[in-house]
Amino acid sequence: MPAPEASPGEVLYEASGLTKEFDDGRVAALRGVDLSIRHGEFVSIVGPSGCGKTTLLNMLGLLDRPSAGKLRFRGRDLTEIDDAASYRAKEIGFIFQSFHLLPNFTVEENVQMPMFGLPGTPRERRARAVELLEAVGLGHRLDHLPVKLSGGERQRAAIARSLANRPAILLADEPTGNLDSKNSAHVMDILLRLREQHRVTLVMVTHDQELARHGTRTVRIKDGEIVPEGA
Amino acid sequence: MNFLQVIFRGLWRRPVRTGLTVLGIAIGIAAVVALVGMASGYEKSVVDQLDTIGIDIVVSNMQGGIMPKAFEESVRDGIAFMPGVAEANATLMQMLSVEDAPMMVVYGREWDSFTWDQLQVIEGRLPRDAQENAVVLGKLAAEVLGKKTGDKLQIETGEFTVTGIVDGKSLLENGAVNMALPRFQEVSGYEGRANFVNVRVPEGTPDQRITVLCREIEAKHPGLRAVRAREVVGTSQGFRMAQAMSWSTSLLALIVGVLGVMNTMLMSVFERKHEIGILLALGWSRARIMSLILCESATMGFLGGIVGVALGVLTLTILEQTPYVRGFLEPDLGWSLAVQAVIIAVAVGIISGLYPAWRSSRLSPSVALQG
Repeated sequence: MPAPEASPGEVLYEASGLTKEFDDGRVAALRGVDLSIRHGEFVSIVGPSGCGKTTLLNMLGLLDRPSAGKLRFRGRDLTEIDDAASYRAKEIGFIFQSFHLLPNFTVEENVQMPMFGLPGTPRERRARAVELLEAVGLGHRLDHLPVKLSGGERQRAAIARSLANRPAILLADEPTGNLDSKNSAHVMDILLRLREQHRVTLVMVTHDQELARHGTRTVRIKDGEIVPEGA
Repeated sequence: MNFLQVIFRGLWRRPVRTGLTVLGIAIGIAAVVALVGMASGYEKSVVDQLDTIGIDIVVSNMQGGIMPKAFEESVRDGIAFMPGVAEANATLMQMLSVEDAPMMVVYGREWDSFTWDQLQVIEGRLPRDAQENAVVLGKLAAEVLGKKTGDKLQIETGEFTVTGIVDGKSLLENGAVNMALPRFQEVSGYEGRANFVNVRVPEGTPDQRITVLCREIEAKHPGLRAVRAREVVGTSQGFRMAQAMSWSTSLLALIVGVLGVMNTMLMSVFERKHEIGILLALGWSRARIMSLILCESATMGFLGGIVGVALGVLTLTILEQTPYVRGFLEPDLGWSLAVQAVIIAVAVGIISGLYPAWRSSRLSPSVALQG
């Protein structure tokens, strides 16, 4: 069952001293990040390549666990959570730079994937998938395999998929990174429209300053640390 | 789309590899069906035969392999006069190569004994007496040997005249060559010896009394075993050995099947690391990923089981027509064997999928997403 809708302004994420190290501590991707994200925000995370943007996004989606620090979601400590899958299934929608669609499933089946394990019949899953794909302008591509789609269409399908489980948060990692400027603008328009429509919080990693301006707030990261505003 | 469709889509992504793996399981299962079907067919043939003749107790030296060792024919006299025995007679049975037939059951039956009674003459006649140089052929044996009444038949060192063709009412009887005991003893070099004493008890004898009689016969003739007719097959060392061999051969074939499926599933998990990472990111639990892998391997097992049963039946049907088997063995292909074979195949699939499933559950989503 989807989580109860967050109230406007409610703090969703609260990170304090969030640290992630790799190679037995030889590489520090995040160094004591403190961050708070409220419901309804559109947070753009910007910074140069390798600064820790994606690592932070992976922490928020529990694709990876922090080495140290605290990460709370609606007051619940995510670092202690056992059932990361359930958290992702109920709260999170992911959009990746390289789309990550399953190649052996049609576009419509790909959109159904996050709905497995959630209440609903196959017919209801299909209906939701069709509705979302129509919303991103892919109503005519339902039965196509991802390989038959252009880059822009694949990312639109991925956006539809990210909303399938009615998440509270969309975590987007360079969603236009693999697209030309025209497709990039189109995908961004759709993302912004659907964010409004579905009232989801959006955390978007990008190195494109223009795109970052769409956000209600921009967080800059450098060398694994958040750069204070105005610095 | 439902979970079943996701499973089939996973298997279909590499149709040739999936097909070959299914075939690997199918061959193992075909071996189970063929070998166990033969063993159980042999058991059924023997039980049918003893039932048709109306034998209550079989006395033999069952430790001699498939064909019991011969003993003095006079043992029969000692048994015939025991209290509780209605009738006893000696039989010499051998499996021999007869003319063009590579293997055939030949019986030397005591003249005038009840073992001739169920042989219904359909052509010609039975031997006139114990000394006549004559054989009667079961109808299937006549067909296999291509003989009719009046033809000559060479058995070991003797030449016999086929005086009749009979319907013996059971597969073993119909596939056999029959002659009087002394004639068979003479040509086979077993003068004065037999390897079975067939015992009948008076009608209405309670089961318990028959069991006691068996123990009494054994006590009187140490070295011989007296068993109730329906237990003959189960207590035969030769049969048990054949059964053990058929199961152990099947087991080897199944182990090959297990390794094949495990290899396929491990490769599949390795190749699909990225996809598994995506599914984990989309909220699929590790348990669901594991059950996907297990269901895929179980499905391959199920398909292998179905194809294997079909292959096993085909093998047995072909074997049944070969001269080596025809006439003394009718494979037993019951539904229970088919169901057992499919259950074994599914178990093979599940066992093979356990390790790959566990491996898939250990994947870190962020690492898997990197490919």
